[in-house]
Amino acid sequence: MKTLIKIAFKNLNRQKKRSFLLGGAIAFGIMIVTVIDGFAGAFVANVAGNMADLFAGHVFVEGVEKSGTSKPVDIIRDDQVIAESLKAAGVEAKLVQKRSGTDATLVFEGKKANQSIFGADFAGESYLRKRLVLKEGSYDSLLEPKSLVLSEKVAGKIKAQIGDKILVQLKTVNGQNNVGEFTLRGLTHDMGIFSNILAYGSRDYLNELLALAPDEYQMYGVMLEDITKAEEARVALTAALKERARVFELPAPKPGEAASGGGMQQSRYQKLYRLAKKETWEGVKYRVFTVNDMISQVEDLVKVLNTASLVILAVLFVIIMVGISNTFRMVMYERIREIGTMRALGMQRPSVKRLFLFEAGFLAAGGTAAGMAAAGLVMAVLSLFDLGTGSFFSLLMKNGHLTFSVRPAQVVVNFAIVLVLTLLAAYMPARKASRLEPAEALRSSK
Amino acid sequence: MKRTRISAALAAAFLLLLPLSGAYAAEPDFEAMVRELDKLEDFTGMDFSGVFTIASEKPGEKQSVTQIRMFRRDSKKQFLILLQLPEAQKGQGYLKEDDNVWFYDPTSRKFTHSSIKENLNDSEAKNADFTRKSILDDYAIEKTEPATLGKFPIWIITLKARTGEASYDRMKLSIRQDKVLILKEEDFGASGRLMRTTLFPKYAEVAPGKFFPSQMLIVDEINKGEKSQVTMSELSTEKLPDKVFTKAFIEQVN
Repeated sequence: MKTLIKIAFKNLNRQKKRSFLLGGAIAFGIMIVTVIDGFAGAFVANVAGNMADLFAGHVFVEGVEKSGTSKPVDIIRDDQVIAESLKAAGVEAKLVQKRSGTDATLVFEGKKANQSIFGADFAGESYLRKRLVLKEGSYDSLLEPKSLVLSEKVAGKIKAQIGDKILVQLKTVNGQNNVGEFTLRGLTHDMGIFSNILAYGSRDYLNELLALAPDEYQMYGVMLEDITKAEEARVALTAALKERARVFELPAPKPGEAASGGGMQQSRYQKLYRLAKKETWEGVKYRVFTVNDMISQVEDLVKVLNTASLVILAVLFVIIMVGISNTFRMVMYERIREIGTMRALGMQRPSVKRLFLFEAGFLAAGGTAAGMAAAGLVMAVLSLFDLGTGSFFSLLMKNGHLTFSVRPAQVVVNFAIVLVLTLLAAYMPARKASRLEPAEALRSSK
Repeated sequence: MKRTRISAALAAAFLLLLPLSGAYAAEPDFEAMVRELDKLEDFTGMDFSGVFTIASEKPGEKQSVTQIRMFRRDSKKQFLILLQLPEAQKGQGYLKEDDNVWFYDPTSRKFTHSSIKENLNDSEAKNADFTRKSILDDYAIEKTEPATLGKFPIWIITLKARTGEASYDRMKLSIRQDKVLILKEEDFGASGRLMRTTLFPKYAEVAPGKFFPSQMLIVDEINKGEKSQVTMSELSTEKLPDKVFTKAFIEQVN
């Protein structure tokens, strides 16, 4: 066996150029797929991290109040029970933000746009001051009453500019129609699909329009030291809150159903939100969720990306397989006399076959290693570029830099696929070589 | 767009559930006047039918016309609405009994169940248009004053919502002094801003002493330029056959 391995290595070395090209093709495929995997791996974490910054929290609590036959009202009047539960759950909050919010229609000079608006305390939210990147306007101007921050995309849709007064049509927490007038004082960069869900307005004024008292709000956001502990914190907080109050809980996913519920229609948060419409209770009931629950559709997107990368890998390697198969067929004819000599000297048929397969295996392993190294280099170079924090794509990045996270299991799967396909490609020429009769082979003039 | 137009039609139909006629009162007791409106709000004891044509205008958009035929039997909380225009939605219908509403789609020939609110969510109709049983349940009289609207001496009754669940925080009703007929309704948000104005320029006497608007103009005061004109015709309080309020009837007319 050892001898076979040595010969296989020697054979690959004898035709350096050819080996380099074949291995290079494999390396290229592996590199592409690894970079895609790496991007997808960091995608969820980056989006979650950026969304957490914008929503000002990793774990959130919302209260829904109901009495008699009245409609449920999203409101937190007293957060003592939440604070107590946080303490009991051992969740250490780096920061706590209290916000109100609504879905509204913006109206400006005959133009309309739908927009979710968060009521933020611009004066008190130091974290927002740090994280909010304004393309136009200044954060200090937001301290004026009735301020509104929109993305440039939404402002462009209604053709509003800094200083314009925009009508905001909404419903109070009780469902009553109301309308207010905000002044556009800040524009953020276009955030693509998130543009319509991320706008900020002065909380005092928004509360007034929503018929909330100045100290009432709707979302209690808890920023943790480490975002990866968000789910753990949610579970602990839910358990602690359950001992003190009513809590909405989603039923456990059915066997075979994805954690996100399968499909991309609804995020886990949306499902949790709908429970308030279905269930009956008296008093306040809370829902606890993480930033990941709000963007669980992004996880589905990552699954799609991962599947796509596997398909790319398979397609690339089917093409590469054809090349490998032809090359090994050629190699067999080139070495036909050599095979005949080895067979005449006593090498058995299975050994000849193994020799070819070893060569293919080494090509796969070498190509994968080179591909991984190239992918590492590409990812390192790409992550060096500062692409800025002022575009929609910044939501997919970390502080304006692309980041990558390659899962070891995925690397193993990719290598296994490459190895199997390469061996399959070399198998037929290897079998043919092993079946050569020594005398015939030695007589051959090919 | 389709849904909005149907909804606008429904909105107009529901707006017409408002009380619109009454007796002359020289020295009005305003609470009594509003109660009078309440009493006259429905057609209990009689059936009602009519054709409503709604022409909606939005800035930069072509005028859309929706036409519905409506049948009401308030004593049994029943109504049937059949769409006649636009052509693409002709034959669609809404059948209501108590709080249940069935929507009929002639293409699939199927009925789907929903609540009233779901059907009207996109329309100009607001909660009060279909849930208010009594104006005074939702609103209290805040202020009254005499005024003139066009050639008519009127009373302006300002109503303030008793709860946060009423559709608007304030309503201003302009009522003729010679008859209890609303000429104008203005709806205000809690911020004090006027949100919607409804004008009732023409009436028809559908039964002795019972008036019903034959024309309405609904103006969205927030989205300038958005308005709907509703024209009512073939108004009748003749008794309707029971079969009208059945699923079979909708299928049959299709």
